[in-house]
Amino acid sequence: MADKRTMTLNLTDQEMSLLEELSARKDVSKTALLRQALRLYQMVEARLSRGEKLFFEDEEKKKAELMVV
Amino acid sequence: MKFNSDPEWLKRQAALEDNCFVSVGGLVSAVEDLEEQTQRATASRTAFVSLLNLTRREHKLTWEQFSQKLDVDLAELIEIENDETYKPTPRTVTKIAHFLHVPPEKLFVLSGLARAHDRQFQEAALRFAARSQPVKALSSEEHEALKEYVKFLCER
Amino acid sequence: MKTRVHIIDNISGKPVEAELFDEVTVEHFIETQQEWRPIVLKAARQLAARGSHQLIPQHFHWDWTAKAPELKVLANAFYGVRYENKLQGLMKLETVGQFCTCRLPEQAGKALIYVDYVEVAPWNLKALMSALGEKPRYNVIGSRLIEAAVLRSKEEDCKGRIGLHSLPMTESFYIKACGMTPVGRDPAKQNLLWLEHTPEQADKFLTGAR
Repeated sequence: MADKRTMTLNLTDQEMSLLEELSARKDVSKTALLRQALRLYQMVEARLSRGEKLFFEDEEKKKAELMVV
Repeated sequence: MKFNSDPEWLKRQAALEDNCFVSVGGLVSAVEDLEEQTQRATASRTAFVSLLNLTRREHKLTWEQFSQKLDVDLAELIEIENDETYKPTPRTVTKIAHFLHVPPEKLFVLSGLARAHDRQFQEAALRFAARSQPVKALSSEEHEALKEYVKFLCER
Repeated sequence: MKTRVHIIDNISGKPVEAELFDEVTVEHFIETQQEWRPIVLKAARQLAARGSHQLIPQHFHWDWTAKAPELKVLANAFYGVRYENKLQGLMKLETVGQFCTCRLPEQAGKALIYVDYVEVAPWNLKALMSALGEKPRYNVIGSRLIEAAVLRSKEEDCKGRIGLHSLPMTESFYIKACGMTPVGRDPAKQNLLWLEHTPEQADKFLTGAR
């Protein structure tokens, strides 16, 4: 993998709790989780910029569009 | 990454893998998908030939001069122009891309070497091909079309 | 990343040193269309002509060039194996996405690396080469690619966990040669079989421990 660079990240208490909860659930480090989140954001952005739409589908197959800022 | 270099591991994996089919990915889609892809590829190819033609005329070059500037075979350029089934070499397409200052992977799709994944890209190719006509002098509209299309290829 | 890995040359029966790399480009995809696809199609036609429809490769008209836009997406990782100046195998992984979550009850919800596509060059596959009256050329390409997936999973802190949907004719490779656990058929993906590695299975596969 490519060389890495370091940054300091300030998070609110809520954000830090969320990060800890998600990394425990996923069984990955907090750093790994944030890297995954960044890649997921890029993946979504790339498809949205091509004109695609992002939907969630519930159990009854009803679709709801997800707005991404 | 540290890969296993144990000859026993290699021998065991060879025996296990020997009779197996190895692949992952979705099941083949319907034959109709293949036909739709062929139609889209033809439209992109027309745009590729138009792009080459207009660029050459924009620079006021003969085919021979153009092939020298691009550092590609004249015979191949003529094949590209005249034979819509002809697939140019990746080297030639890369040379053309560098001359035009556009990303090579965009021209790989236009030339038919790579498959398009993007409706917007294909529609832009169709519009460009429709706006360029085979007349001797580059009209101001063709000049504009060429300028806009190259800008589009660079920006996406 | 480029690293040396041993594969087996089926003609000599001996190990040879191939190159496993991650800087896959659209030119590699074009190479698969120009070098692999015609052979796969020829073998598929031979098998169809003999009535051996069950042996026709289920990926016979994949087109890797359609994946060119995905090369720039950081969530994706591509790996290739090269030997004698020819591409011998290709793989696409997803490090995040809808399939990157474990389903095996003992590790449900945990992150895994998803193996989205793997293809081994047709001249290395016995089933295809038999159809053409030839012998397969090199072996262990598939194992090396899955090994790369497991090692990447460890680098991503997923503890070696990987998951994939297997084509019906390849299920035995993932179960027997890679030691993966079949979990169940996935209606979200053409009812293909979903398989996973636990960290223990991943280590066992990497080390060859029995």
